[in-house]
Amino acid sequence: MDMGFLFASLIDGLLLGFVFGVAAIGLTLIFGVMEVINLAHGPVIALGMFGLYFAVTLLGLHPYAGTLLTAVGGLFLGILIYAIAVHRVIGAPHLSSLLATYSINMMIIGIGTALLTTSPRNIEFSLGSMTLGTATIPVTRIVAALASLLAAVALYLFMQYTRWGKFIRAVTDNRDAAELVGIPSTKVLALSFGLGTMLAAFSGALIATLFPFTILEGGKYELKSFVISVLGGLGNPMGALIGGIIIGLIEGLVPVFLPTTWVLVVEFVLFVLILLIRPTGLFGGRAQ
Amino acid sequence: MAILEVQNVSTGYGEVQVLWDVSLRLKPGQVTALVGANGAGKTTLLRTIVGLLKPWEGRIFFEGEDVTHLPPHRKAEMGLILVPEGRQLFTHMTVYENLEMGATPQRARAKFQENLELVFSMFPRLKERLNQKAGTMSGGERQMLAVARGLMGAPKVLMIDEMSLGLAPVLVLELYESLKQLREAGITVLLVEQNVHMALAVSDYTYVLAEGRVEMEGPSQEVARNPHVRTAYLGI
Repeated sequence: MDMGFLFASLIDGLLLGFVFGVAAIGLTLIFGVMEVINLAHGPVIALGMFGLYFAVTLLGLHPYAGTLLTAVGGLFLGILIYAIAVHRVIGAPHLSSLLATYSINMMIIGIGTALLTTSPRNIEFSLGSMTLGTATIPVTRIVAALASLLAAVALYLFMQYTRWGKFIRAVTDNRDAAELVGIPSTKVLALSFGLGTMLAAFSGALIATLFPFTILEGGKYELKSFVISVLGGLGNPMGALIGGIIIGLIEGLVPVFLPTTWVLVVEFVLFVLILLIRPTGLFGGRAQ
Repeated sequence: MAILEVQNVSTGYGEVQVLWDVSLRLKPGQVTALVGANGAGKTTLLRTIVGLLKPWEGRIFFEGEDVTHLPPHRKAEMGLILVPEGRQLFTHMTVYENLEMGATPQRARAKFQENLELVFSMFPRLKERLNQKAGTMSGGERQMLAVARGLMGAPKVLMIDEMSLGLAPVLVLELYESLKQLREAGITVLLVEQNVHMALAVSDYTYVLAEGRVEMEGPSQEVARNPHVRTAYLGI
């Protein structure tokens, strides 16, 4: 076996894993706080891709400045989605919130397909590549991984040390008790949904600096986010980052031994195994 | 002039009515007890006052203002605070973070250090456990933390639901000792208790709730002498 190829492929997967991880943190954060499974997660990732595309092509921004702008847009989009579709189904049976977020999913996909078509776009952007042993790595991938890691660390610090971060943890822990001490829990839910959406849009923008994309592209990353979230423990943001890295490594490893089409099979076999053997995930669910 | 006034409140869960036409007045600076058998509606009344449950009928006034439809966090902001039954701590957060969350109201943030010292003087044990996760503490410590968290909110009215439930008698005495300090701090207290002996002994005024209605009310010493209360609740 070609060890050089294995190494290069693993590095490749590892770097992507950070980006997958950040997308999954968005999904798992929302579930942890309000027990809503956000089926609009994939389309929001795709909107992140197009957010960056238009920031670069229409506004002429540098792709990384555009990524930040897209993230801010994601925050407000999330708060808007919360107000329109999610707030009214908080505490309702899961089917209601699944349908509500699925409707948002269909609207974004529908409008997106009509306005943007499904022909692939890409962002013309390269920073050259670096050679590490046998691996030749595009620098954009390294930046994407570092930016993802930074986002995860920033979220951790926000949750741990800021007033509103602590509010989010308190509401996650016990919403009634949070209300009783004076925490405006509805605002906290809206903010959490905004942050989850922001992370999804952010990861979408980073992915758009690496690969071509269409409005339908989000579905694939949404599926990955589900696998990663369950792997790391649903509701556990830091578990999701590690879950993302594991999935990234699998994506790097599998093509070395099997045709690439087996990647999804391996991922979902893992998904099912985790559900069967350790349904709370590798690192426990709903914990900080 | 009552600081908290409940006027003719009726409510329940779904189709099931729990409270019928309940009225209650708290005098500032006093300890008022709310006693009654299991299922009499004591916890339901507290949940209604604080806004976790909507009243079907009736109104609630706090410092003369109609607060019937305000959500719990707005009432906490005004100084009407409930220490809920079963403690309901933030179990994944540390003791210190629980106290910090308790001090969420604007008024409480200004007095954070002052209240922290008050709480530590009442419950020295908490001071030794500041970095421990609340969920890993013993039952007694959790109850102390629940009361302490309520106090960090700088309450004008503190409502405590079942402080003694499941605690060793020594601890119960200790907690009730600390209640005296609350009175000295000028905090109005509404106490819900199944331990009727204890409630009558420490309170100024008592309401007896039975089957969702106020069955009797009066100064605690008088209620304690009432023959019906003595046979039905005190077992004398």
